Amino acid sequence: MATSRKVTLLSSDGESFEVEQSVAVESITIKDSIEEGSAGNPIPVPKVNSKILAKVIEYCKKHVESAKAEDRVDDEDLVAWDADFVKVDQATLFDLIRAANFLNIKSLLDLTCQTVADMIKGKTPEEKRKTFTIRNDFTPEEEEEVRRENQWAFE
Amino acid sequence: MSSLRSDPSSSRVHPAPLLVDHFDRLPDPLLLLIFNRIADVKALGRCGVVSRRFRQLVPQVDAVLVRVDCVISDDESASPAALSDKARNPFASFFQAFLGNIVKPLQALGLFPGAKRAQSGPSSSSSSSSSLAVGSERDGEMDQGGVTHHSPTQVLKNFNEIRFLRIELPSGELGIDGGILLKWRADFGSTLDNCVILGASSVVRSGPVKNLVGSENGTDAGCANDDNGSIPESFYTNGGLKLRVVWTISSLIAASARHYLLQPIIAEHKTLDSLVLTDADGQGVLCMNREQLEELRVKPLSASSASKRTLVPALNMRLWYAPHLELPDGVVLKGATLVAIRPSEQSGLKDMADGSWISTAFEEPYGTAARMLVKRRTYCLEMNSF
Repeated sequence: MATSRKVTLLSSDGESFEVEQSVAVESITIKDSIEEGSAGNPIPVPKVNSKILAKVIEYCKKHVESAKAEDRVDDEDLVAWDADFVKVDQATLFDLIRAANFLNIKSLLDLTCQTVADMIKGKTPEEKRKTFTIRNDFTPEEEEEVRRENQWAFE
Repeated sequence: MSSLRSDPSSSRVHPAPLLVDHFDRLPDPLLLLIFNRIADVKALGRCGVVSRRFRQLVPQVDAVLVRVDCVISDDESASPAALSDKARNPFASFFQAFLGNIVKPLQALGLFPGAKRAQSGPSSSSSSSSSLAVGSERDGEMDQGGVTHHSPTQVLKNFNEIRFLRIELPSGELGIDGGILLKWRADFGSTLDNCVILGASSVVRSGPVKNLVGSENGTDAGCANDDNGSIPESFYTNGGLKLRVVWTISSLIAASARHYLLQPIIAEHKTLDSLVLTDADGQGVLCMNREQLEELRVKPLSASSASKRTLVPALNMRLWYAPHLELPDGVVLKGATLVAIRPSEQSGLKDMADGSWISTAFEEPYGTAARMLVKRRTYCLEMNSF
């Protein structure tokens, strides 16, 4: 293998993760800061705690490895792996969205957003509120108005 | 649908600090990213009633899929009385007689409520959320009296920033006999830009045993006869040519009717980058990109006099035929025909040899079929505007 340079990422709660550079640069944010030379070593990753950072690294590692594999059959395996990867509690899922957004990892952002979208899709509004604990902040008049506006969606 | 009012938690603050609304931690742009992936327009409508924030964000979604439940077709073509009306335009009556059973051009699109027909009572909840599939009771006779329907135009009024719009009809308009393959793809600006039609009189899914004839030719593999790509004489006498003409005209009528219907949507949504009108059968795809959409806004379409569809301009057509076409995956198309159509006006401007739009018109395996067919002998035809 060619030079496998490693970088160290520092989570917001002070934990260090050593990863190959090829994995770290899945994050455009990190890639940019390395290229600009502005990244220290270890590279601080504010806003992302160790638990989430570990998951993000796991995701990037898997995807970098799969891209290297010549065998395209792995695509289906990767899809299945992704599906398992997002079977986490809501808090983690939303943290992953924020982390993917901050670190600018498009494929992870797409995957996590699609997961939440799929969770929202099939539900009635009450179910949505319940699943995601969203507060219904409409006044009764507003609620009736908005219900009327969107009547077409309920028929 | 369970009643909205009975939700007890709606007026109480959640006491437990553990119950957190995770969406609160996402800024609006991220929430929009999620909404953009929901796509289905009814699901988005239901999001709009969840909370103020959702209500405010849903109109900003930029990618939407509208699944139409029901189409209202011009059923007059089936009744003999109507034929005499249309006889004013002899050309139109020719079509009615020729094509009456085959194509029911769309007159309107509606999202019909699932189980509701003539009643106005509440529809059952279990069918309503899946009404998009269930509610496809296509009844051309239905008049708009007792039933409420919502046109895609109305539904889309709730969205202000759509860039990617995909509309899916419940089925293709062309009522063809079983066994026949017929697919079309048409690109429109103000008028037809191009159209590709692929048809076959039958499709045989053969086993893995492949014809050895011609296999050494690589991509030419699959033409069982050692022909030079020419159309056999029998084609002209056994109805083969007539059938292909019917396919071509039907597809063009269906495409131009779809185009006509899209006008109000296109006029209203100036943010559109891409519009695709397809159907659940995968029979026909109408596409418009940003330039084409803009062209239609600037230069209104010409309507055909007899019916609610866009006028089809004078056309140059190229046709390829193979009596027996074997695709790499073992599928055999019998009587395979490919027709590539462009307005006569345009063909002078661009070299007709640029065939990329033909080979990319269809998804696999039909893309391969198209690429195989264009290698054969080309027949050129012209058609008047209609």
